[in-house]
Amino acid sequence: MPGVLVWIETSEGKIRKVTREAAGAGAKLAAALNAPLCAVLFNGKDLLPELATLGFAKVYTAEGPGFEKYSGEAYAEALAAAGGMFGADVFLTGATALGRDLSACLAAKLDAALAIDVTEIIYDAKPLKVVRPVYSGKLLADVELTGEKKVISLRPNVFPVAEKPSVSPEVVPLSALETAAIRAEVRKAIKAAEGVLDVTEATIVVSGGRGTGGASGFKVIEDLAGTLGGAVGASRVAVDEGWIEYAHQVGQTGKVVSPVLYIACGISGSTQHFAGMGTSKFIIAVNTDPDAPIMEKADFAIVGDLFKIVPVLKEELLKVVR
Amino acid sequence: MNVAVILQQVPDTEAAVKPNPAVPGAILEEGVKFILNPYDEFAVEEALKIAEKDGGEVTGVCIGPDRSENAIRMAMAMGMERAILITEPAAVEADLVTQGGILAAALKTLSPKLVLSGREMIDSQNDAAAAVVAHKLGIPHVLAASKIEINGDKAVVVRDIEGGSLEIETALPAAISCQKGLNEPRYPTLIAIKRAKNKEIKKMTLAELGIAAAPSKSRVTALRQPQARAAGVKITGTPEEVTGKCLAWLSGTAKVI
Repeated sequence: MPGVLVWIETSEGKIRKVTREAAGAGAKLAAALNAPLCAVLFNGKDLLPELATLGFAKVYTAEGPGFEKYSGEAYAEALAAAGGMFGADVFLTGATALGRDLSACLAAKLDAALAIDVTEIIYDAKPLKVVRPVYSGKLLADVELTGEKKVISLRPNVFPVAEKPSVSPEVVPLSALETAAIRAEVRKAIKAAEGVLDVTEATIVVSGGRGTGGASGFKVIEDLAGTLGGAVGASRVAVDEGWIEYAHQVGQTGKVVSPVLYIACGISGSTQHFAGMGTSKFIIAVNTDPDAPIMEKADFAIVGDLFKIVPVLKEELLKVVR
Repeated sequence: MNVAVILQQVPDTEAAVKPNPAVPGAILEEGVKFILNPYDEFAVEEALKIAEKDGGEVTGVCIGPDRSENAIRMAMAMGMERAILITEPAAVEADLVTQGGILAAALKTLSPKLVLSGREMIDSQNDAAAAVVAHKLGIPHVLAASKIEINGDKAVVVRDIEGGSLEIETALPAAISCQKGLNEPRYPTLIAIKRAKNKEIKKMTLAELGIAAAPSKSRVTALRQPQARAAGVKITGTPEEVTGKCLAWLSGTAKVI
């Protein structure tokens, strides 16, 4: 019997949004396969009530010191064990930093087909078919997963979150699990500055590029992002110039974001930048150059000086948002 | 310390890539410039720095068509000594896990203490190679390293995650993929580029590596251009005017506010 297994990824004790999205996609897939949808949760028993709204038949829990910190080897072991218990053949994770790591470990372990950063699943295709961006998002690849087992990581903010009536899943402890010695061990988690929202997590991203002119120019970008409850992004130029940290870079050599709204300020919009934000639902561009590539790709392009426009936009938004 | 690097040749980032209508999953190669995967440059640079410290050799492994030789020569011009290239279509077209097994078999013949790769291949946008190879070799791995510190039989690696980073201590040998920020890749000198032409690239077959042909677990059935974004609005005016229009659009069309 087939089945679908989702990894519950948590961050600071909370279930990540991409996990809810994976649960939503998993439910559709499970329905198409007429198979159960289950999940694996590591060291997070207090999250069980919240999981009841995500539509899982069973939640396998792995507790203990071996699972306190992320380990690709140990986590893959647990997922493989849980999958074996009910015959899972499709494994879903978010295409987050650790989700990508885990999916690779798991695919290698299960000798499975691996599809990374998937943006669409053709649920009823036989064999299962997925779509993923390739060549910096310049092309899409239709990928047929013919392997008996399939491991799929989903691009965050692309799939709708699970909406299920509250049904408490059966909780199955993975008690007999023997964790192998962890050879690559997390010693320390280093947090970015307090209160800074990561670009990949945000539903709104406000980005600055060459047009910000320097580190001080990012102030207006940060103000607008703050007003909207969004994250601050940046183009490669801004990062290479040292105006803002690399963690903010969006694009081919930075992070891939897929927010509901992406506001590009003073960014020309190279192919490489587009690779990192091309799947945003809505794009607003503010640029003095009406012919910049971003102006053709934006849903709403404003020709003008970002230093004059963005502060006014922020003030007006403050009135609406509050 | 001997360090081996996993290499890949990819189309230049600026290249306009188009699907090849005759070959599902392939692009039209005419007029496309191919380069060493940009992330692999960080891996080669780091390998050279580590090997230079205590006198080791840097080697490479690559799966790809014959033209991949140019990418390998680029790494050799940076300082890599020799490489193994596997050009068989069965390897080039294999799924990620199978390719990891092939790379692992080739790496075994080089017995490195450290395996490095780029964080991601920019053509297929796959970033699993280091983890899969590590599993096949039975060694630990760390992905997306922005700092690597070798300390005897251990390495301390910093890897980026959303909202911060993790400091990971790993036993060696290990496989580590390299992220931007790790180092500044060197530019090869003209003499080094010339010398690279005489370095050894050993072509190996799957049979020589002891890999039996198996059906691929995944297959790209088509490459296609994404649907073009619908043409947007372009406006100009005073800050107050454009802000008013923008707010109307945000609430009316985008329904974001």
